[in-house]
Amino acid sequence: MSTALAAIAAAALVIGVVVFVAWPFVSPDPPPPEEALSETDRRRLAAAERRDEAYMALRDVEFDLRTGKITDEDYQRERARLRSEAAAALRELDDLKSKQEIKED
Amino acid sequence: MSTVGTVALYVVFALAVYATGAAVLAGRRRDRRLMQSVSNALVAAFVAVVVAVAALEYAIVSHDFSIAVVADHTSRQLPLPYLITSLWASQPGSLLLWLTVLLGSSALVMYQNRHRNRELLPWVAAVMGGTAVFFSAMAAFVSPPFAKLPAAQIPANGFGLDPSLQNPYMAAHPPSLYLGYVTLTVPFAFGMAALITGRTDARWLLSVRRWTLISWTALGVGMLLGAHWAYVEIGWGGYWAWDPVESAALMPWLAATAFLHSVMVQEKKGMLKVWNMVLVSTAFALAIFGDFLTRSGVVNSVHSFVQSAIGPWLLGFLAAVIAFSVAMILWRLPLLRADHKLESVVSREATFLFNNLLLLALCFAICWGVVFPILSEAVRGIRSSVSTPYYNFFLVMFGIPLLLLTGIGPLIAWRRASTRSLARTFRWPITSAAAGTVLLWLAGLGSSWAGMTALSLCIFVTTTVLLEFARGTSARMALTGAPPPRALFDLIGRNRRRYGGYIVHLAVVLLVIGIVASGSYASVGERHLARGQSMVVDGYRLTNTGLFQTREQNSVTSHVRLAVSHDGKSMGTLDPGLRLFTDTQQVSNEVDIHTSLLTLTDLYTILQGIDTNGSGGVSVKVLVNPMIGMIWLAGGVFLLGALIALWPDPREVRMLARRYAGALAREA
Repeated sequence: MSTALAAIAAAALVIGVVVFVAWPFVSPDPPPPEEALSETDRRRLAAAERRDEAYMALRDVEFDLRTGKITDEDYQRERARLRSEAAAALRELDDLKSKQEIKED
Repeated sequence: MSTVGTVALYVVFALAVYATGAAVLAGRRRDRRLMQSVSNALVAAFVAVVVAVAALEYAIVSHDFSIAVVADHTSRQLPLPYLITSLWASQPGSLLLWLTVLLGSSALVMYQNRHRNRELLPWVAAVMGGTAVFFSAMAAFVSPPFAKLPAAQIPANGFGLDPSLQNPYMAAHPPSLYLGYVTLTVPFAFGMAALITGRTDARWLLSVRRWTLISWTALGVGMLLGAHWAYVEIGWGGYWAWDPVESAALMPWLAATAFLHSVMVQEKKGMLKVWNMVLVSTAFALAIFGDFLTRSGVVNSVHSFVQSAIGPWLLGFLAAVIAFSVAMILWRLPLLRADHKLESVVSREATFLFNNLLLLALCFAICWGVVFPILSEAVRGIRSSVSTPYYNFFLVMFGIPLLLLTGIGPLIAWRRASTRSLARTFRWPITSAAAGTVLLWLAGLGSSWAGMTALSLCIFVTTTVLLEFARGTSARMALTGAPPPRALFDLIGRNRRRYGGYIVHLAVVLLVIGIVASGSYASVGERHLARGQSMVVDGYRLTNTGLFQTREQNSVTSHVRLAVSHDGKSMGTLDPGLRLFTDTQQVSNEVDIHTSLLTLTDLYTILQGIDTNGSGGVSVKVLVNPMIGMIWLAGGVFLLGALIALWPDPREVRMLARRYAGALAREA
C-alpha cells in the first residue's frame, strides 16, 4: 500500500471516528438528563426483590416437596413463613405506592 | 498498512481516554447525551482496533519482514492457517488480541444496556474504558505490534514460528483463554459501578451472571483445549504440568466458579453481598495477574513470552485494581449488609459457602505455589520453586471435600434440612457409593487411597445428579401428565441454570475419573527397539517394522512404524515421529496415539531417537493412559451444560422486567 493511500485511509478512520463520537451532540433531539434514584425508589426496589425472593423460594420449596427433598411437615412450615415474607413485601410496595400517589395529588 | 495500524492504535488510545473521562462526567452530571457519546466512543474504539488487527494480519500474510513481529514469528514457508494464528504468537500481537476482546465486550455491553441500567452504565463504561486506556497504552507505546526493524536488519525470510505453535489448537486455545480472562472485566466493572452509585441491589448481579458464565466457560474450555494440545503436541505423555502460566488460567476460573455458586445465595437469600463483590474483584485481579505472569518473564514457563518492559506496568495496574476494589468495598460496607442470616449449617446456602471457601483456599494455595519462586528470589536471592507434589497435595486436600459437596449441595433444601429428609434423600447415593467402593476394591484399584476415595465420590455425585433428573422428571410427569422425554425437556427448559449446572457436575465427575485413572493407574515402558524387535507394555505388544519419511510445506518427519497387538489380536500400526522444521531448524516430537473407544484408554507412543548408523533401530517410550479420554469427553459435557445454563430463560426475563418496571418506571 502506498504512503498516500495509507495516509488517506488513516485520515478517513480519524474523521469517521470523530463524527461518530460527536454525533449525539449535534442530534436535534437531546434526551432529558437522567433522574437520580430517590429513597422511595430504592425502598421499592428492595421490597420488589424481597417479594421475588419469596416467590422463587415458594416455587423451590414446592419443587423440593415433589422431589422428596423435604418432608410435608417442613414444607408446611416453610410455606407459611415464605407466604408471610411475600405478604410483608407486597404490603410495603402498596404503602410506597399510596404514599407516592398522595404526593403526586 | 503498518501506518494505518499504528494510527488506528493511537485512535483507540485517544478514544479510551475520552470514554473514561466523559463517562465519569456523564455519571456525575447524569448527562444522557454525553453517555451516548461515550457508548459511541467505545464502539468506535472496537472498530479501530479491528482495523489494527486487519493491518497486522495483512503485514503477516504479505510477508512484510520490516515489521519485527512478522520477521520474528513467521516465514515464507509457514502455511497460511499458521500465518493467520501467528498474530497472537508474539507479545505485541497477543496484547492486540486482548485489547480487541476487551473493546468488543465493552461495545457489546453498551449495546445490551442501551435501554436499561442507565444509572450504572456510565460507571461501567468508566471502569471498562479505564482498563482499555491501560491496555491500549501498552499496545500503542510500550509493546507496539507495528514496530519496524532497522533497514539493515530486515531479513529476506522470517525466523519462523515455534514448532509447538504449529498446531490447529493454536487457532482455538489462546482466543478461548483470552475471551475468558478479558470478559471478567465486565462483572468487575458492574460490581464497581454498583458500589460507586450505591445501587447494591441485585440488579448488577443479574446483569453480570451471563457474562461470568461466558468467562468461566471460555476459561474452562480454553484450559481443556490447552491440555489436549500439550498432550498431543509436546510429546511427554501428560497434559498438565502445573506450569505457572497454566495455573494462572486455573486461578480466575476457580474464583469465577465460587462466584457462580455464591451469586445464587445472594439472588435467593440476599446474603453474601460483600463476598460476591470480593469474588468479582478477585477474579478480575487474578486475570490481570495471569497476564502479568505470561508477559513479564518473571516465571519460567513454556507458555510465557520473553522478559519485556510490560511487566512492571502490569504489576502497577494490578496494584491499582486491588487498591481500588478494596477501597470501594470498604466505603460501601454499610450498604452490603445481608438481608437474612444463615439459619443452619445443613442447608444449601451453607454448602455453597463451604464450597466457596474450599475453592478460594485451593486458589490461594495455587497462587502461593506460583509466587513463591518470585518471592524467594526477591527475598533470599535464590529461586526456590514448588513442584507437582505440592500442587497435588492441595488438589487432593481441597478437591475431595469439594467433590463431596458437589454431591451434597443439590440434595439439600434451602434454609434448613431436617434429619428425616436428609436420611431419605441420601439413602441411594450413599448406598451406591458404598457398593461402588467395594467393587473398585475388588477390581484391584485399592493401591491409591486418594484415587479410591475420588472414584467412590464420583459414584456418589453421579447418583445424586441422576436422582435429581429422575425425581424432577417424575414430578413434572405427575404435574402435567407429559410423557418422560417431554417432562425431562420441560424440566431442563424451566430451570436451565440448575440443570445445566448438574450437567457440569457430571463433567466434573468425568474429569476426575480421567485424572485419577490416568494419574494413578498408568503404565510406562521405555526401550531401544532394533528393527523387528518388540516390547510389551500392559498387555500391548509393539514391534518396530521400519522407518519412513513424510514431507510438508516447511518440515520433514521421520517416522517409525510400530505394529501393535493386544492379547495376540492385531490393532494396526502407530507411526510416532520426529519432525524437523526446515525454516527454524527445530525438531519436535510427533506422537501417535491409539484410543480405545470402549474404555477411552490411550496407547501413547513417543519416538525418542533414531539410530544414526542407519540400522533402523529406535528409542521408543510407550504409555498406557487408562480412561484419559474421559478428560476430553468432560470438555464436551462441560460445554453442553454451560450452554444450557447460558441459554436465556424467557420466564426469568419476564419476572425481572416486571420487577424493574414496577419499581422504576424509566426502566420499563
